[in-house]
Amino acid sequence: MQPTTVYTRDRCLTGIHGLDEILRGGIPYGSTVLAAGTCGSGKTTLGMEFLVRGALAGEACAHFTATEPSVKLLENIRQYSFFDMNMVDSGLINVFDMDVLYSWLGLDKASFELEDVHALIKAIVDIVNTIGVTRLVIDSVTTLCYKIKSEQLIRDFLFTLGKKLATLGCTTILISEITSATENAHWSSFGVEEAIADGIIVMGDSERMGHLLRFLQVVKMRGTAHSRAKHAIELTPLGVMLTPMLKWGASVDKNTRWGQ
Amino acid sequence: MFELDQRIAEQLTQVALNSAVQVRVGSANSFMVTASTMVPLMQMFEMGGVYISASRGAVEIIQAFEAIGVDVSHIQFIDLVSSGILGGTDVNYSNVHFVDSPIMLESVLLRTLYVLRTMNSQRNFVFLDSVNALAIYNDDRMLAEYLHTFINTFRQREILSVVLTVPDQTPPLVLSNLDTYCTDIVDRGQVVVL
Repeated sequence: MQPTTVYTRDRCLTGIHGLDEILRGGIPYGSTVLAAGTCGSGKTTLGMEFLVRGALAGEACAHFTATEPSVKLLENIRQYSFFDMNMVDSGLINVFDMDVLYSWLGLDKASFELEDVHALIKAIVDIVNTIGVTRLVIDSVTTLCYKIKSEQLIRDFLFTLGKKLATLGCTTILISEITSATENAHWSSFGVEEAIADGIIVMGDSERMGHLLRFLQVVKMRGTAHSRAKHAIELTPLGVMLTPMLKWGASVDKNTRWGQ
Repeated sequence: MFELDQRIAEQLTQVALNSAVQVRVGSANSFMVTASTMVPLMQMFEMGGVYISASRGAVEIIQAFEAIGVDVSHIQFIDLVSSGILGGTDVNYSNVHFVDSPIMLESVLLRTLYVLRTMNSQRNFVFLDSVNALAIYNDDRMLAEYLHTFINTFRQREILSVVLTVPDQTPPLVLSNLDTYCTDIVDRGQVVVL
């Protein structure tokens, strides 16, 4: 009898300790992954480590920041031993302030219309294409989508952006800010991002007797089998580290901080 | 003069790196047995290590070793006690790391793994002091599950785990599970006459 050949998609190794194991070898190439998390849950660190690990492997990476200035972001990331400022100087890590991008495009306005959204998509895709970016992080898609007033337009924006980036072979992490990471919560602010993303990684805090324990859970990832268990995480100078959360801990933990 | 129990060193010569040693002590001989276990690991077998202190603050343990002339500066300490004391984390030792609370068991494991990744020694041990101290804060089933994960994590990585416990202060469920998970036992526990 011939052994059955199982088709597996090529993977983008995140390089994050434990995450590739959860994903059975990494994120399928070209995926758009929503990293949805509450404040302080480690979303930005996860996104930056994803890029830095890529840069260490010689990949061109880009980070679009809408939540904090690029200078501040780079200062914060310098505490990690795996980061080297030469990655930025040599053009392997490219950080773009969304505010600057808006100015270039003449999008200094409170809300975006259809043509503005198309201009923004074109600008991001052009940057990715010109630099040859294979790893992209948008931090955060929530802040960016606040300017897009219609739910339909948000859906179109994310769907078109994801499709174009996938065509270019770019694996993307869209960081999403949420206020609750409980079982009944939405994994995105606008309710449409989660339907469009190929993968969803949820990050939050469990309260255990007055202490907050950071957790990460891969809820969905198209194109690969993966663990769906909650994992405790630590943000260390060597990067994000994960271990499965204790099963009996769940009976002690509460997610009350983020509401029921 | 402080005397070490040499039979413990002899027993440790029979232990492989991927072993888990349960060390049973009494309240009175706890430090003597701890030192009798740690000293051969550090000096005879030239191992590096991580000492997880849940029973007392790390500084107190370091100073107890210094008092008997044992240098533990190359051992990394993970202190689960001092964060609960205001000003307790203000210490002069660079080899002391802190975890907020003994209930953050997953954080203790991750911090230990992190510290081990920063160490240069080829052969390492993890010394957990102690199961009965963790039992003060943690539910029996959760603690039993944790020790199962803890021991298997280090066995898989060929890191010797040494788990200290005072049997008569340890929940029966946890103690019976320890008997199952651990490959070796050093029994210096007090005999309890009921």
